[in-house]
Amino acid sequence: MNPTLPGEFQIQSEGDIVMARKAVRDAATALGFGLTDVTRIVTAASELTRNIYQYAKSGTMRWRSLNLGGCVGLELVFEDHGPGIPDITRAMEPGFSTGRGLGMGLPGAKRLMDEMSIQSEVGKGTTVQIRKWLKK
Amino acid sequence: MAAESISVIKVRNVLMVTVPPDPDDETVSALQDQVLQAMARYEAKGLVLDISTVQTLDSFFARTVAETVQMVALMGGRTVLAGMRANVAVTVTQLGLTLGGALTALDVDKALDRLNAEPVGRAGK
Repeated sequence: MNPTLPGEFQIQSEGDIVMARKAVRDAATALGFGLTDVTRIVTAASELTRNIYQYAKSGTMRWRSLNLGGCVGLELVFEDHGPGIPDITRAMEPGFSTGRGLGMGLPGAKRLMDEMSIQSEVGKGTTVQIRKWLKK
Repeated sequence: MAAESISVIKVRNVLMVTVPPDPDDETVSALQDQVLQAMARYEAKGLVLDISTVQTLDSFFARTVAETVQMVALMGGRTVLAGMRANVAVTVTQLGLTLGGALTALDVDKALDRLNAEPVGRAGK
């Protein structure tokens, strides 16, 4: 099977954001995504790993390939044990941020991907799952 | 992790910076500092940011670029973003980012033409 899939990466420092981008770029390219989709996926991963670093300080990014009824895709899961998101609906509004960001990370990542789901509990942590499907 | 080295060069009265392909946040911040220092030192009339090798332009990068454009404007200069790749343009637009009213050009050559065509001192919004 593919050496770049599945995989796991710990995010602990700001420099890890770049390392995570590289890992995602390799995985998406290996799965056969075109350059524009690879860029979309890498950029979404960059936003979500930065969120982990900014809000939770550390966390994990995991990735794997999907094959559902002949449809091939890439799934990325970002998990942290940080403060959690009190109001996910507001967090998904463009321009809303409790940090110093632009408030573009979560809604932007959703637009760049095909699917996104968020589970979060205040004081426990946040898990964000994103998927992109290969168009035939 | 140490920031990648960025060099700001001055050609005639324009500053030029080649942004590395995959810069970390520290490098992006260092770029802003160096550009502003060079603006003051050389009394440059403009800045060309060559982003032709940039593969990932996320919201942190975009915010720093937008801020830099505005700061350079306050110092009397104009900024041209040169050479954005098609895939990066698609992603930046879908992400919902704006780049602070920077001028844009297909490559560095055309960026210099744009700067020379713009009246000096009427910078930014």
